[in-house]
Amino acid sequence: MRLFRPILVLAALCALSVAAVAATPAVGAAAPDFQLTTIDGKSFSLSSEAKSHKAVVVMFISTQCPYSNAYNDRMRDMASAYASKGVLFVGINSNKNEDSATASSHAKAHGHTFPIMKDPGNKVADLYDAQHTPTVYVVDPQGKVRYEGRIDENYEDPAGVTSPDLKNALDSLLTGKPVAKTVTKAFGCSIKRV
Amino acid sequence: MIALFFVFGSGSLAGEGLTRLAGEIDAEGLREAVAREKGHVVLVNFWATWCVPCREEFSSLARLQERNRSAGLRVVGVSTDFENQRTAVEKFLAERRPPFPNYHRKKGGDDQDFIDAVDSRWGGELPFSVLYDRSGRKVRAFSGKLPIAAAEREIRKLLANP
Repeated sequence: MRLFRPILVLAALCALSVAAVAATPAVGAAAPDFQLTTIDGKSFSLSSEAKSHKAVVVMFISTQCPYSNAYNDRMRDMASAYASKGVLFVGINSNKNEDSATASSHAKAHGHTFPIMKDPGNKVADLYDAQHTPTVYVVDPQGKVRYEGRIDENYEDPAGVTSPDLKNALDSLLTGKPVAKTVTKAFGCSIKRV
Repeated sequence: MIALFFVFGSGSLAGEGLTRLAGEIDAEGLREAVAREKGHVVLVNFWATWCVPCREEFSSLARLQERNRSAGLRVVGVSTDFENQRTAVEKFLAERRPPFPNYHRKKGGDDQDFIDAVDSRWGGELPFSVLYDRSGRKVRAFSGKLPIAAAEREIRKLLANP
């Protein structure tokens, strides 16, 4: 969807349009920088963290969305597995109806030790035109988006995954290979914006 | 390939108080369902029982259908609930008794293929609605809750064109 923005604007003029129109960083373009405070009170800067890691995985997540929650264990396990490879996973909760305390207790309940941030006013979600949870963006050390979309194709059965898209993207990035599938899609819950 | 299964024989898109799923549907089946309604304006709404905004707008969709049925609007619902939530879907329909048919997305295949087949600009967020004119041409897609007033104005413009 993100690659269709220019087409979308044109299409709107032709009365063929999608209601929510925003500018999403295309894969290969600069990831919008942002600074937020984590739910445990630490400052976070995407540009700083991108420079000091081999990749940063920005995940738009929810405490209530069944699709996002289906990936809780996979988020925990991937964040842990890739930490030693220089990849930082971070969670952003942009839903107006989920407060910091809820996000914090949810993180503890699911062993999410990676940085998690509330996104007041869904400003970061707007910057990325993130529409639903879970959606992930992989940002390289140069601050460019290298992958956007889902974690994998099978939210119902982790053992039945046949297209581990995020893992594939990270492995390609870490080995200097081009990411084969840069944009993927899956169902998810609309981000509850202000 | 015919990929639409009328499990309960609710093939018509114009029913009254439909309390059960009309069947399973995939992208091809949906295309066929819309094509069968040529001559009507069709609004397809993708929803799920766990999706709060979807539940919130369901009654509005029912009223929208009722207000515009005689003029030629046909609303079609497609649940994207998990396969193991099918009972919850049936319970929801039994409670809400929508005046339009609802299908359950057929299990199997990659969700991305279904999403792209419905609308290449759709990212997978729910709810999502697609509006087709009387000729079956897609004229608009709505991401998130349907802006009922604006959508109805557009629908009535389409309905005004025979």
